[in-house]
This record gives sequence, structure tokens and C-alpha cells, in this order.
Amino acid sequence: MHEASIALNLIEAVEQRLEAQPRPRARVAAIHVRVGELAGVSTDSLDFAFECLSAGTPLAGARLVFDLVPLTMTCGACGRTSRVEDLVFRCPACGSEDTRVSTGRELEVRTLELAEEPEVVHASN
Amino acid sequence: MHQIDVKAGLLEPNDAIARENREFLAARGIYAVDIMSAPGSGKTSLLEWMLPVLAERYRVAVVEGDIVGNADKERLDGFGVPVFQINTGAACHLDARMVHPALHQVAEAGAEVLLIENVGNLVCPAEFDLGEDDVVMLLSVTEGHDKPKKYPLMFRRAGLVTVNKVDLLDRTNFDLAAATAAVRDVHPGVALLTTSCRTGEGIDDVIAWIEWRIAAKRAALQHAPIGAGSA
Repeated sequence: MHEASIALNLIEAVEQRLEAQPRPRARVAAIHVRVGELAGVSTDSLDFAFECLSAGTPLAGARLVFDLVPLTMTCGACGRTSRVEDLVFRCPACGSEDTRVSTGRELEVRTLELAEEPEVVHASN
Repeated sequence: MHQIDVKAGLLEPNDAIARENREFLAARGIYAVDIMSAPGSGKTSLLEWMLPVLAERYRVAVVEGDIVGNADKERLDGFGVPVFQINTGAACHLDARMVHPALHQVAEAGAEVLLIENVGNLVCPAEFDLGEDDVVMLLSVTEGHDKPKKYPLMFRRAGLVTVNKVDLLDRTNFDLAAATAAVRDVHPGVALLTTSCRTGEGIDDVIAWIEWRIAAKRAALQHAPIGAGSA
């Protein structure tokens, strides 16, 4: 349900970044978003919220591309990093409970793809 | 296709204010605990049990988060502690920005312990750091023992999980052992208790845990004082 506020943050972050580059009025073709498996965000809802909230803004029509990040943990006892299976945060190698999420909490805009500007055709003669 | 880097965290606007909130509380030596659960799990009832005890030992304030209305505030108004209502309007959770003005009121009221009752919801509040010191989470037996793996983020945010309404255990098919195992899978280090806000069972343990955390924060602030007024 909070995907709408995240979509607003996304639009703001992209608009700020656009203003800070040489072609602030460039059309954005795609926005790449990294979403961790444990980010607590539904990509479908975020997609839909973005579509609704970007309507009428320069970002309307931009495509969201989700880069899903698997949930992994690093063991504080043996140092091994492993995939979290079935949401069990216990090290499969040594059984230690001293684990930290290594990846899988990401929720960030990574890159923008800008549409090419219309080609300027120079008459050669 | 021209590509440009952005690298902007989408929760960063909230996280930045949460950090400010945390510094604000630390500078004034205020301990804040955020109480979260699904709707109807017993957050307000837990507060009704704890307030008389905690208010005798500390200067306590409460921040009540609700979508609309102040029914919970009215339940808590008779305890002689300031209760500040936040209505989120449409939002399904409290966020750091909403809480910030209330923190000023809490500080002006001279509180040293702040109990925040979040909006009843197992999903969204887990994503939004308020700047609190701890999260206490209630899982009531009427919700079912499968919840920890359905809402892992919430259970990982919690420092203490209490299985509430245990007086109803024999009237439901809630499997306490399965619930305990699932909580420990999702968050191995979490403190785990059982309570009943009907009989009062286990409430003392929750209070003891909170008092232990208050003492821990005070000790930490003494060793690394933040701001001027934290002595």
C-alpha cells in the first residue's frame, strides 16, 4: 500500500537527476530500479503507482525495469555468504544465528535510459 | 540509448528524517519504542496495562497513530500522561516526517520515555523507520502462527515479539511451538514473550524488557553523549 509514496520519491529522484545533466528535457525511455527480495515492495504495485502518478509529467510513458536482488546473508561466525532459503536466517554452513542481511533490502533507482534526440539530417550539398 | 547513473535510495527521504528524529531523541535522553502489529492485536490494550506501571517510574508520553479518529487516545487519556494523536489521513503507516512535530511536543512535555502506537498493519510500518530505539511487535493468537513467514520484514524489525492473547490458545488451532520456530527462523536473535492483555499474564516481562532497553540507552548516552543536554 505504500508503493504510492515510493513512486513519488522515485519521480522526484529522477526529476532531480534529469535537471542536473546536460539534457534536462530529454525524454526518459526507461528507469532501472533495484528491488531486493526483502524490500517489502510489490513491483506490480510500484509499476501501477508510477504509471498513475507520472501521468502528465515529463516521465509519463517511461518504462520501469526492475532488477531483482536475491536475499543473501553473511554469517558473523564463519564469514560465509549464502542465499536465505525459506526465510531462515541461520547460517546453513555452521548453524550460527549471528547473521546479517547482505543483499535483498535494496530499493533504489540505478540508471535512466534517455531516448535519443531526433536525428538532425544535414543536407550534404 | 544514452544511459545515466542515478543511485538514489527510494526510502532515503524518510530515512534522513528518521536519523534527525533519532538525534533529537538522543540529545534529550528520550527513549522511544514503536509498537506495531496487525489491527486488533492488542497494542492499545498493552499500553493500558503498561502505562500505570511505567508512568510511576518515568515521565512517559504516548504518540497515537491512527488513520482517522482518536478512539485509542480517548482510551489512554485517563492515565495522566500526555497523549499526542497523529492522524495519517489515508496513509497506512506512520513515517518519520509525520512523527517529527510530535517529538517536539513530547520533548516540551518533559517526557523521558515515549511509547508510539503505530497504525495497525503488518506490511507498511515495517518499511518506515521513525527514529525509534526499538520496535515491539505483537502477534496475537487469533491471527495464526503462519504470520512470521508471511510478514518477515516486520518480524525482523522487532527487538521484542510478544505472542498476545495467549488466554485464547486452547480455543484456537494456533500452534505456539510453530509460531516460535517461525519467529526464530526469521529473526534468530529476537526476544520472544507471551502475553495476555485479558489476564495480565506476561505484561511484567514486556515492561522489564522495555526498562532494560531504557537503561541500556541511558548507559550508552553516558558513554557517548550526544548534544549538550544528555547528561
